[in-house]
Amino acid sequence: MKPQETPMVELKDIYKSFGDIHVLKGISAEIPKGELITFVGPSGCGKTTLLRIVGGFTKLDSGRVILDGEDISGLPPNMRNTKMVFQSYALFPHMTVAKNIGFGLKLEKWPKKKIDSRVEELLSLVQMEGLGDRTIERISGGQQQRVALARALALEPKVLLLDEPLSNLDANLRVVMREEIKRIQKRLQVTTIFVTHDQYEAMSISDRLLVLHEGVIQQIGSPTGIYEQPANEFIAGFVGYVNFLEGKVDTAERETGIASLSTDLGKLEIILERDDLGPGSEVLLIIRPETVSLSSPEGGTRANTFPGYVESSMYAGSLVKYVINIGDGKMIVDQYNPRDAGLFREKDKVAVTVPRNIHVLKRESRT
Amino acid sequence: MAEAAIARVQPRSLFYRVRTFFSARLVNIFAGGLFALLAIFLLYPIMGVLVMSFWGDDGFTLEYYLEFFTFNIYYWSLLNTLILGTVTMGILLIVGFCFAYLTTRGPLWLRKPLKIVALLPLAAPPYIFAISLIALLGRNGFVNNLFDVNINIYGWTGVITAQCLAFLPLSFLMIENVLNSLNPSLEDSASDMGASEFRIIRSITIPLVAPGLLKAALLVFVMTIAEFGNPMILGGRTQFLAPDTYLAITGEGDFNMASVLSVVLITPCVLIFILHNYVLKGKGYTTIVGKPTASEPKEMAFGIKIPFMIISMAVGVMVIMSFGVILVGSFVKIVGVDNTFVIDHVLNTQSNIAIWNSIKISLGAGLFGAIVGTLLAYVIMRGKFPGKQFMEMVALSGFALPGTVIGVGYIIAFNRPPFLLTGTIWILILNCVFRFVAVGVEAGISKLHQISIEIEEASADLGADFLTIFFKVVLPIMFSAFVAGFVYTFMTTMMSLSSVIFLVTPGFDLASVYIYLTAQLGELGLASATTMKVIVIVAISLGILKIVARKTGLEVTKKHGA
Repeated sequence: MKPQETPMVELKDIYKSFGDIHVLKGISAEIPKGELITFVGPSGCGKTTLLRIVGGFTKLDSGRVILDGEDISGLPPNMRNTKMVFQSYALFPHMTVAKNIGFGLKLEKWPKKKIDSRVEELLSLVQMEGLGDRTIERISGGQQQRVALARALALEPKVLLLDEPLSNLDANLRVVMREEIKRIQKRLQVTTIFVTHDQYEAMSISDRLLVLHEGVIQQIGSPTGIYEQPANEFIAGFVGYVNFLEGKVDTAERETGIASLSTDLGKLEIILERDDLGPGSEVLLIIRPETVSLSSPEGGTRANTFPGYVESSMYAGSLVKYVINIGDGKMIVDQYNPRDAGLFREKDKVAVTVPRNIHVLKRESRT
Repeated sequence: MAEAAIARVQPRSLFYRVRTFFSARLVNIFAGGLFALLAIFLLYPIMGVLVMSFWGDDGFTLEYYLEFFTFNIYYWSLLNTLILGTVTMGILLIVGFCFAYLTTRGPLWLRKPLKIVALLPLAAPPYIFAISLIALLGRNGFVNNLFDVNINIYGWTGVITAQCLAFLPLSFLMIENVLNSLNPSLEDSASDMGASEFRIIRSITIPLVAPGLLKAALLVFVMTIAEFGNPMILGGRTQFLAPDTYLAITGEGDFNMASVLSVVLITPCVLIFILHNYVLKGKGYTTIVGKPTASEPKEMAFGIKIPFMIISMAVGVMVIMSFGVILVGSFVKIVGVDNTFVIDHVLNTQSNIAIWNSIKISLGAGLFGAIVGTLLAYVIMRGKFPGKQFMEMVALSGFALPGTVIGVGYIIAFNRPPFLLTGTIWILILNCVFRFVAVGVEAGISKLHQISIEIEEASADLGADFLTIFFKVVLPIMFSAFVAGFVYTFMTTMMSLSSVIFLVTPGFDLASVYIYLTAQLGELGLASATTMKVIVIVAISLGILKIVARKTGLEVTKKHGA
C-alpha cells in the first residue's frame, strides 16, 4: 500500500442493525486499488451485510462508504460503479448467455455492434467462446459462475463484489474457479471484495483478509500474517488447528529476544517477536500442530522437548494427526511425510519438541 | 409394507385371520368404497347432464345444440359470459399485480393493511358485492339519492365491478405467490447493472413471473364465468350462461336446454383445466439456485409507487365500502334513504331460520366432507391400484366445475330411482360434500407429503399391522388436514349459492338462497342482515382454521425437535 495513493474503497465507522440485532459495530477499513480482499468470518458475522452495504443493497445506519474519493453511502445500486456476483448468480433465466452479459451495456445505450464485440471479448476472458447463444438452463454450474462474472465485469466496475460465489459448486470445481477468479482479477487489476465463510478459500485467494466476528473486525492482514501472527485467540482458532498453551515469562533478553517461560508443560525457551513482554507477563502461546515434531524418547534430553505418549492417531495419507498426552494436557501434532519420520502407534512413548519461534498473545494479567 | 409385516405373523385364530385379511386389503377396500361414492355423487350427475343435452323424446339428438347456436338469446349469453370472463381477468391481472407488488416490495407500513383488504372478500360470499352495489348505486341507492344522479348499476358495469371485487383475493394470492417465489437477487442484480425500477419490472419481473400470471389469469377466468350470484342479481337485461341455466329450469322447466347450457359452460372450464394441469404444469423458470438471500425493502420509485397505490387504494376503498354498507344496511331501515335505526332485519325470524338451516347443512357437509376428503387423500397417496389418477381427477373436478352445472346434474340424477333424494336435506349435504371435497383431499395430500412413508414403514418394522398404523400413526398426523377440510367445507357450504339454489325445496331456505331472494325483491335490509350473519360465522371459522394451522404447525416443529 502506497500511502500517497487514495484507496479505492474506504469504509468509515459503519454501523448496521436489523431490529435488535447489531450486525456491524463500527467497521473501518481501506482497500487500495487493485487489491483482492476477502471478508471472512463464521456465518452471521456480518460479512455479507457489509458487502451489500458496499453494493448499495443494504442501507447503513451510520458511517460512510467512499468509492475512489466519492461518498456513495446514500446511492442506490444502479447509481454506483460497483458490480456484484451473487451467491445464486442471479442470472436472468429468460435471456441467453450473451444477453445476460450485455444487459448492463444495453442499459447504458451502447450501440449493438459495440455490445456484441464487448460480449465476445468477455466470453473469451472467462473462456466461454461460442456459448453466447445458450440459454442459462443449458450451461453447467461452473459456466453459470463464469457468465455471472463476465456480466459483472462488462461495465468495467471500479469494484467487483463477490458474495460467496463458489458455495454452489462441488469441491473440485471450487478450486478451479478460485484460481480462475484470481487469474482474471490479476489480469484486469480490478479491486475486488470476496466474501466467504471458508477460511482456506480466503487464505488461498486473497491479497489480504478482513476477518469479522460478531460485527467487529478482528484482524486485517495478509494470509501469512493472519496465520502466523493471529491478533487474538479467535483468529488463531479460526484459521487452522491450534494448540493453546498458557505460560508466564520468567526472563527475557532484550537484544536477542530469547525468553524463558514456565508453562503447564514445563520450562520453554522461545524467541519473543514483541518487546512489550517482560518478566511476569502472562502469555498465551499459539502452537500450530505442524510445527511440533515427534521423535523416539531415547534421544536424551533436548531443549523444549517433553515426554508423552500417543493417545490416538489418524492416518490421512500425506500426514498423520496425533493426539499426544503430555502430563495432564493434550497436544495435537501433525506429522507430514509419515513414511520418512516413522509411524507411532497408540500408547507409544514419544518425545515432543516445540519450536522456538512461537507466536504469543499477551494476556491481561489476572490479579 | 403392510404385507411385509403380516408375512412374519403366523395366523393363529379366526379373529387373527379376519384382522389380517382386512389389514392387508384396507387401502383397497377404502378405495373401492370411495370410488363408488365419487361415481354416484360426481360422475353420475355430470354424465346425466351430458346425456340430457343429447337426449330427446326419440333418443339421441343434436336438436338442442342446434337450437343453442341458432337461438340468438343463448348465443349472446355465451358471448357475454366470455366477454365478462376476459374483462374481469384483464382488470384483475392489473389490480392483483399492483396489490401483490406493493405487499411484497412496497413500503413496510402498507403491506399488512393492504393484504388484509385484498383478502377481506374471502370472508364473504361473492354476491355480497351485488347487494352492496345495489345499496350504494342502485335505482334507489345511496349515491343516486344523495347526488340526484341516475347511475344504472344493472348490467355490465355492475356485474364486472362485483366480479372484480369478489375474485380479488384469488388473483392477489396467486400473483403474490409468484412474486414471492422470485429470487430477489435477480431484481437486485438488474438494479446493480444500472436498471431503473420500471425497467426491472418490464424486462425482469414480468417476463419471469409470466407463466404464474397466466395461471392466475386462467383461474380468474374460470371462476368468473362460473359465478352465479353476481350476474343473476345484477345482470339486468344482460344475459350470462350461469343464470340462464337456472332460468331455463325454473322458468321453462327445460332440462335439455339447461343441460346444453351447462355443457357449453363446462367446455372452457375443462379446456382451461387441461391447459392448467397438463400444458402449463412445470412451465416457468427455476430461478433459485442455492440459497437466496432475503432482500431488504427498498425505496420504490415514485413513478411506480404512486399509480400502484392509487389503483390499490381505490379498489381497497370499494371493498371496505361494500362491507360497510352491508353492516350499516343491517341496522337501518333503507340505507341512504331512511337511516332510522331498526333491529328488525337482524331479528327477522325467516332470516334466522335460514341461517340455522345453513348451519345444520354446513356442519353435516363439513363432517362428512372431511372424512371423505381425508380418506381419499390417504388412498390416493398410499394406495397402489389402477385408475388412481382418474380417481384423483374426479375428486378434484368438483371444485373446477361450475356450481350451476353440478346443481343441474343433481336434479337430473337424483329425482328418480335408484337414488331418489330430491326434497331431502341429504341432497343438499351430499352436493356440498362432493363439490368441496377437493380441498380436504388437497390438504390431506399435502400433509401426507410432509410425512415420509418411512414413518409408516418404521411402524410396520416395529411390528404394527396396517390397522394399528392407520389409527395410531396416520390419523393423528392427518388430523390437521381433517380439521382444515371440515372448516373449509363448512364455510363454503355456508356461502354457496349456485348449486343449492336448484335443490332447495320451498319452505326450507338456506341463508344464501334467502339472501338471493330478498335481494331480488329489493329487501336490502334483510339481505344485508343475513349476509352479515354469514360473514360473522365465516370469520369465526377462518379464525378457528388459523388457530388450528398454528397449533398443528407448532406440533410439527415440536416433533422434529424431539
